[in-house]
Amino acid sequence: MRHLGSQAFGPNMSVERHQLDNGLTLLLLVDDAAPVICYQTWFAVGSRHERQGKTGIAHLFEHLMFNETDNSPYGEFDKRLEAMGADSNAATFLDWTYYLENLPKEALPLVAELEADRMQNLVLRDPQVESEREVVANERRQTVDDDVDGSAMELLYNAAFTVHGYRWPTIGSMADIQALTTDDCRAFYSTYYAPNNATVVVAGDVDTPSLLELVERLYGDIPAAELPLEDVRPEPPQTEERRLSCRKETDSARLFIGYKSPALGDVDHAALTLLNQALFGGRGSRVHRALVQKSELASSANGYVGNFRDPSLWDMLLTARDGCTPNSLLEALDEVFEQVVGEAISEDELERARACIELSALQGLDTVGGKAEQVGFFETVLGDPGALFRRLSENQRVTRSDVLRVARRYLRRSARTVVEVLSEA
Amino acid sequence: MRLLVEPCNQLPLVNVAVSFRGGRIHEPAGVSGLARLTARMLRRGSEGMSAEAVEQGIDRLGGEFGAHVGLGTSNVSFEVLTRNLAAMVDLVANLIAKPTVDDDELAKLKRQSEAETVRSRDSDSFLAGRALRRHLLRDHPHGRRIGGTIEEVRAIDAEAIRSFHAKHYSSSNAIVSICGDVEADAAEGIAERLLAQLPAGESIEYPATDPPPPRGRHLVVVDKPNRTQAQMVIGTLGTHPKDDDHTALLVANTAFGGSFTARLVQEIRAKRGWSYGASSLLSTSLVRETFSMWTAPATRDAAACLALQLEMLRAWVAEGIDQDELDFCKGYLRRSYAFEIDTAKKRLQQALERELFHLPDDFHERFVDHVDAVSLDDANAAIARRISADDLWISVTATEAAIGTELRDAAGPLVESIVDPYDLE
Repeated sequence: MRHLGSQAFGPNMSVERHQLDNGLTLLLLVDDAAPVICYQTWFAVGSRHERQGKTGIAHLFEHLMFNETDNSPYGEFDKRLEAMGADSNAATFLDWTYYLENLPKEALPLVAELEADRMQNLVLRDPQVESEREVVANERRQTVDDDVDGSAMELLYNAAFTVHGYRWPTIGSMADIQALTTDDCRAFYSTYYAPNNATVVVAGDVDTPSLLELVERLYGDIPAAELPLEDVRPEPPQTEERRLSCRKETDSARLFIGYKSPALGDVDHAALTLLNQALFGGRGSRVHRALVQKSELASSANGYVGNFRDPSLWDMLLTARDGCTPNSLLEALDEVFEQVVGEAISEDELERARACIELSALQGLDTVGGKAEQVGFFETVLGDPGALFRRLSENQRVTRSDVLRVARRYLRRSARTVVEVLSEA
Repeated sequence: MRLLVEPCNQLPLVNVAVSFRGGRIHEPAGVSGLARLTARMLRRGSEGMSAEAVEQGIDRLGGEFGAHVGLGTSNVSFEVLTRNLAAMVDLVANLIAKPTVDDDELAKLKRQSEAETVRSRDSDSFLAGRALRRHLLRDHPHGRRIGGTIEEVRAIDAEAIRSFHAKHYSSSNAIVSICGDVEADAAEGIAERLLAQLPAGESIEYPATDPPPPRGRHLVVVDKPNRTQAQMVIGTLGTHPKDDDHTALLVANTAFGGSFTARLVQEIRAKRGWSYGASSLLSTSLVRETFSMWTAPATRDAAACLALQLEMLRAWVAEGIDQDELDFCKGYLRRSYAFEIDTAKKRLQQALERELFHLPDDFHERFVDHVDAVSLDDANAAIARRISADDLWISVTATEAAIGTELRDAAGPLVESIVDPYDLE
């Protein structure tokens, strides 16, 4: 195990970077405020790596990772964790998949053993794959098919991207979910689940020498894999507005908009995030004041700048009040956007946006799980586990001119996709 | 004024909450939503500040302000960057003591609340949970909609809000909780400053009584068109934390549906793939709360899933849990307790619960001892005493025409079966 360096994580903490010869990265953040640990394993694979006809495999596979291994029969994984007072979960998104355990510090050897085991010895059989396909199909019904926002967001991304893998829904299409085979899952496992495609993040009350010995012993012999070249297809510039309309069982019409946005690592990302905050962040923001408070056209208005490795979407969701159409929402929203494109936001607005983002970032670090998640996310997407705090510093350097520049660069109607959701009734 | 403090200087954040004894239970009959509307009016203008100035002031300080109501309390809380604590305290002191209750702002808030109620119809799980409480808890304040129905909210005027505020928002009636980056000896000064502009008032009593238990088995279908899935909740009354058998029932519930290895997850999710989530929950509050089971099967599996859940409930009540389950769950609860107290916020929340629910000072401190003391007889006696498989409500959001008859057949002998339109409230 090589120690590759130490990096500040805010004013009081640091992240230690270690690496095994097989390429496994270990990031350690010691926090002894409570006798607990969060253990996370991040794999640099997500739904962006899928292809037509096989959408949803990254997410289905995440479910299958809780099944049997050569050394542990079905059901033992969760049972052994809970017996030690630990719990586990996982998440998949466009760029990544990660697994987490929250554990009392005494359970660290067990958790490391279970994680190292399933990285190399997972057993995939038809009955488990069939059962888990049904679970995922039900997850899709709950979060997409019977959910207004989930289904509209799927339409938005599918229309906004024509070639890039970000157009695939992470949960997968229902047809694809039900057609995925055990062989598909085995191939996915052998391709992407390797130590040189993974980062283990440990945050909490850890004895460093013991952890290093444990990780070296349990993971050291897992062979590295030859990772495939990613067949990434950059999205061509969008030159015309795209509009879709759908009808759903709802009494509240919606408007979804996706403007093309920069990658998380792009120099424009911080300024655009601040602009989003000034427009949508809270009740003092411009869009909320104009559309929710003053004109009362909308009951809610939210915006989110995608935090992804490649350029993605600045997506916005507005819910119409009774009697208001998505189109009238769009017209009112365009008026607000014309103002921020025509004239820079005020210094006071910029300062408020900075303060709100700083608060939100710090709130996410209350638990060891929150700290591990930020370390793992920024390492996997940017290769920089301390990027959260670097971003906060960058925010201080962003000027009103920067915000004006990104408003003009990204708030272009020809580069937006609009989905209106109307009531079925 | 009662003060609770939990210092923690790891992050430059301070969290402050003021709980006034005055919640849904204190609303006059037929005026549900008054406590919530009063709390939400606090940020809609106070002496010398318009609603817009309040919002911008909060954002400028890097603050987050919330106001929500419980059964017996109205809670105002904020989190703020440490460097802005003093200014935020002054701002919130003004908000809680001197709301203007402007007629135009009230009218806006009522229209906003109405729009939120309409939007809540889009969440099938919310509709199922809401129908369960509406029918199971009936006329008890617990059964009322927290924000009131549309008709109730429309009828509330500024005078009613001023009157509710004058009666309940006083320093004698307040509990202040402070955690985060603050010294213990500075907390008293913060609390005094926060409440300085309030009248002394008087401490309000809790007129709380337990809801009556259900008799017989009831079914309500919340009818919503074109559902691919059913959101199902089965519920009855549970225990109060002060009940002698509360911990025993908690242990027994952990085996039934309170963990990922519990019976419900294994039978419904792992073996059959019928639902993404499958759990049971023992809620706690000022008075006796609910025991409930939650699943979300596909429409085609809903009746079979309901029948299986009811049979599992019958077996649990009739036969209890076994020694292995008891030992396993006690170990899990004992060891995972570290995550109940790993942050200052959680520890403070426990202290507040003890205060609000009239629990002994050592209630949480002795939780693990109480768990250790539960015997198999205790656990099974608690199930038999508190839970009945025959006296309960089943609430399902689904398309009545598609599966209503099947659900009634699967539910067994019913004393009542009703269909509520999804837009009833």
